[in-house]
Amino acid sequence: MTRRPRPRGLRVRLVVAFVLVTVLGAAAAAWSSAGSASAALVASTQQRLTETIAGQIGAITPQLVYPPDQGALERLRAAVGADTLVTYRNLRSAEGPDTGLVTDALRTAVRTRRRLVTERIIAGGKPWLLVGMPITLTAPNGARTPSGIEVYAVRDLSNVERRIDGLARTAAGTAALALPPAVLLALIAAGGVLRPVRELRDTARRLAAGDLDARSPPQGADELAELTVTINEMAESVQASMAAMRRMQADARRFAADVSHELRTPLSTLTAVVEVLATTTDGMEADARESAQMAITETHRLVRLVEDLMEVSRFDAGTARLRVEEVDAARAVRDCLRARGRLDRVDVVAPDGILLRVDPRRLDVIVANLAENALRHGAPPVRVRVSASREQVLIEVTDGGPGLPEQVLPQVFDRFYKADAARTRTPGNGLGLAIARENARLHGGDLTAGNADGGGARFVLRLPRNPEDR
Amino acid sequence: MRRMRIWPAVVVLLLAGCGVRPSGVADGGEAPTGVAPGVTLYFVGARGELSPQLRRTGHLGGIPEAMALLLSGPGESGLRTDISASATTQVVVTVAPGVIRLLVPLSIHEVTPLGIDQIVCTALGVHIQSGGSKRTEAQVRFTLPTPESDKRRTCPLFR
Repeated sequence: MTRRPRPRGLRVRLVVAFVLVTVLGAAAAAWSSAGSASAALVASTQQRLTETIAGQIGAITPQLVYPPDQGALERLRAAVGADTLVTYRNLRSAEGPDTGLVTDALRTAVRTRRRLVTERIIAGGKPWLLVGMPITLTAPNGARTPSGIEVYAVRDLSNVERRIDGLARTAAGTAALALPPAVLLALIAAGGVLRPVRELRDTARRLAAGDLDARSPPQGADELAELTVTINEMAESVQASMAAMRRMQADARRFAADVSHELRTPLSTLTAVVEVLATTTDGMEADARESAQMAITETHRLVRLVEDLMEVSRFDAGTARLRVEEVDAARAVRDCLRARGRLDRVDVVAPDGILLRVDPRRLDVIVANLAENALRHGAPPVRVRVSASREQVLIEVTDGGPGLPEQVLPQVFDRFYKADAARTRTPGNGLGLAIARENARLHGGDLTAGNADGGGARFVLRLPRNPEDR
Repeated sequence: MRRMRIWPAVVVLLLAGCGVRPSGVADGGEAPTGVAPGVTLYFVGARGELSPQLRRTGHLGGIPEAMALLLSGPGESGLRTDISASATTQVVVTVAPGVIRLLVPLSIHEVTPLGIDQIVCTALGVHIQSGGSKRTEAQVRFTLPTPESDKRRTCPLFR
């Protein structure tokens, strides 16, 4: 058996339930009223018929010869009607066309009860009323004895049946009349329920889309209004905590920016001092020279870190600006690597003539950071491949190392993230890839990390040919 | 699918609730009565008591018929009547609910109280025999004005 899909919509379900309840109620009311009306109709018709027959008999009996002869029986039968049978001991009047319907139960009841009895039967598809009665002898003092005369009459109830059918049809019509108002009421009720629900849904969608100011005005004082108020309160608290979080984030960024800014002045002094120191290392003892060298290196790292932090702060504050020029991609990559002395360790595959509009300083930072990262964490051969489509330029940096582990991939661009926790004192400061990606995004491009088919790490930089086209 | 099966059942139930349904044998009230081999008249016996006499007319007949027979006298039966013989035996009978009015062709002087009982018992007897109520009373109106005409009477034998 295939299962019929249940109606899903609230509106459909409400309408169906309303209509069912209304029509069932109306049908039950109409059915019960039609039932009691038809019962009353049958009872009154039956009473009228039996009273008529008893009255007709009572009117003629004082004139009837007793003990009756055949003629008296026929007179009695004629007084009651054609469909009648009158008996007295062995005498029988002529029979009517339907007197054969009289049942044995009725005859027995007439003889034992000595009262007027009735029975309704269905014969030949038609309802019949059977009336049977003895005629009694009454003494002047009121004592009754059976006279031996019995009268059986048969009456057709088809007329009553037709009237009852009419009643039933009227009842069915009345029940059907309840249908359109029920549908209308159900639609109105469904509308009343569904409108606030729809508004709530829209509000929830706007909230989900990030519009934290979205609210829906509560209407009325029902459960839906309570739900609306609750959702509004929820939105309120989400909005408040989001604002608090943003404020804290901004505070943290400003703190980082302030710290790096404040560090710059003493650092520049320190740099100057270190440079002076560098010129005098030749005359030092071996130990002192080593310490001086270490101080120089670390100071340079510190300067680099502070510069990177300031760069990150500029990205966070949204104050980083592009200075776009037209650049040949291949030449820019080679210049970058040559300036850092890495050209001999990096294999560059770059066709000449790929022109794009970028901020050359930022492209230099990206390529340098990617190459540095590959040389430091991967293994040779490190390869930079430049390719281009009509819309964008791809710069791909791969290495021959083991590649990036799965769990590292999502965090590889996080600030200060170091894949190898044991080697915290690596020369990199953990900001290089983060800055590279921020730069790529500033151009409207992107930087993604993955693994090459051969197993090495693979960073892909996508830059639009012209960032101003965006 | 379940709802599809319920609907015809509801319709059948609705239709079955209507129409004339057969019934068993039920009581329909008192059986009619009124047949009798003759009419019972009331005369006076030897000791001055009311005495019924069945006059075999073959049928019960009505109250005027019984009155006519009563006024005609007891005949050769050893009973006597306390009603004076009169030229006419016609009694006008009016049956109202609870009371039968009898306009007799007699004055109060032509009938004794026992004679009045004869008239009342005969009339009420016929009324009861033809199916009338036992509580019905009789009012005998005489030709000449008298307070006796307004009295409502019952038969002492039927109490």
